[in-house]
Amino acid sequence: MTGPGLTAYLIVAAVMFALGLYGVLSRRNLVAIVVSVELMANAANLNLVAFSRFGGHPQGEAFALFALALTVAEVVVGLALVVLASRVSGTLEADAMSELKG
Amino acid sequence: MEALLIPLSVAGLAALLLLADIAPAKGDARGIGSFAALGLFGTLALTWVVAPGADPSGSYVSDAFTVFVQRLVLLAGALACVASIDHADAHFPKRQGEFYLLLVASVFGMTLIAGARELVLLLVGFETMGIPQYVLAAMHKDKKVGVEGATKLYLTGALSAGLTIYGASFLVGAAGTTFLPQIVTTAPSAMLGFGALLVLAGIAFKLGAVPFHMWIPDTYASAPAPFVAFLSVAPKVAVLATVARISWASGEGMFSWWTGDLLVLAALTLTVGNLFALPQRNVRRLLAWSGIGHAGLVLLALGLATTDGIGAALFYLTTYVVSNIGAFVVAEAVGGKVGDEVEGWNGLARRSPGLALAMLLFLLSLGGIPFVAGFWGKVLLFRTAWAAGQSAMVFYGALLSVVSLFYYLKIARAMYVEPAKDPTPIAVGRATILAIVLALIGVIGLGMFPAPFYDSAEEAGTALLVTGPVALVTP
Repeated sequence: MTGPGLTAYLIVAAVMFALGLYGVLSRRNLVAIVVSVELMANAANLNLVAFSRFGGHPQGEAFALFALALTVAEVVVGLALVVLASRVSGTLEADAMSELKG
Repeated sequence: MEALLIPLSVAGLAALLLLADIAPAKGDARGIGSFAALGLFGTLALTWVVAPGADPSGSYVSDAFTVFVQRLVLLAGALACVASIDHADAHFPKRQGEFYLLLVASVFGMTLIAGARELVLLLVGFETMGIPQYVLAAMHKDKKVGVEGATKLYLTGALSAGLTIYGASFLVGAAGTTFLPQIVTTAPSAMLGFGALLVLAGIAFKLGAVPFHMWIPDTYASAPAPFVAFLSVAPKVAVLATVARISWASGEGMFSWWTGDLLVLAALTLTVGNLFALPQRNVRRLLAWSGIGHAGLVLLALGLATTDGIGAALFYLTTYVVSNIGAFVVAEAVGGKVGDEVEGWNGLARRSPGLALAMLLFLLSLGGIPFVAGFWGKVLLFRTAWAAGQSAMVFYGALLSVVSLFYYLKIARAMYVEPAKDPTPIAVGRATILAIVLALIGVIGLGMFPAPFYDSAEEAGTALLVTGPVALVTP
């Protein structure tokens, strides 16, 4: 088997996950936050497929398919909420959400 | 197939609700709520006839633990449906169908978690529980605060799902399988430990454990109150089931990595939940912060790493389900008229003695006063923790339970001591009264006769040890 090994895939996935996590915690725009969530989920999928390819078991790939479906369902609801939030408050900034405090 | 009877019944009920929702509307849309409630009560009755066993792949097992957890979430779902009938009809009459559909879908996810012995099924159940809740929290879609609370729930929920799935990918990578019994018996490695830690963090979000709790007060204060009643109890049961199913998948446990973390989380959660509840003047926020404190006790029981601890936690949650749902339903009935600030509750005992007495009993139960349900829940939980050698945590938990009386009795004081500004009784719908009465029966019944319930909770905990081998689908 030539090409990059398992570790390379795991590192790429870890970078994607870290970027996603950083995005969720630091971005102020709701759409950007949802995109960051998607990035985190895709890091998990990359992990699963890489483990499956290098470990020689198909369950990881099956898991990745399920994980994709779950993420899609979650992002759909998230985007609907973002649309609703922008309609109600007229902005996509998370900072505008300050009516409730802790 | 028989083993899957309960989840399938709930899924069937959801399908029927979907059909009823898209069918041309005629007559009274209120009926759909009664239908959902009856369906869930019916499924609850089915749990007494379901045969123990596993489905052919071994992914799902129906044993005493599964059944106990399913009974709790079905009871919580059914009570929430009954409590929602008046609220839904008054606030979103055109969208009642989807409300109950989503509520039942969330219950479906929880019934899957209860018996899952395979990671994919467990995560599918976990997300099926979570995703409908984001929509349910936003049912008051014209109100800015409602949307804000729902968005906060969504953002923390999505973050939690990301952590859980990423962590799960490491579990699968380290073990080479998605079957939990094999994952937990895999030789310990850094990868497995890292994955387990991420999964725990993701789960802790759903439980509202400190430091993953920030969404709780906001969402509880803004979402539809009958749904909050459900949200405040059922996910706690599901999280308990998730941790227990992973930990005891093989009868041994993954707690070698988790025990310490769980106890630290428990101490933090107990402290923050109870102390932040003290200064609250808003009844819903007070109940939200106190709910975080209760989550801390559940974490303490989980951190004992014994099946006795699981049994004690299950019984504790049984008492908590009836007490907290009851308290939130009264909070909705009263708060809908006088607002959520505690001053609005002044003199409630003279305005509506029945409501005030019911709330008092629920609060006493939450605070752990003798002869209502919560007392036995706390005593038995502390006794189990003591037997497991966690005496320091028991003292600390008992101390904070005394602290909790201060804020619970703040509401009682407003109801019974303060004079009423407006002496007119508060009008309450029939379905809401029914929900309160059902919760009261639970609180008093469990307070008078705790033994049979505690025994079956213990039995459910022990059942985790005797799950048979997995029928493997080997690649």
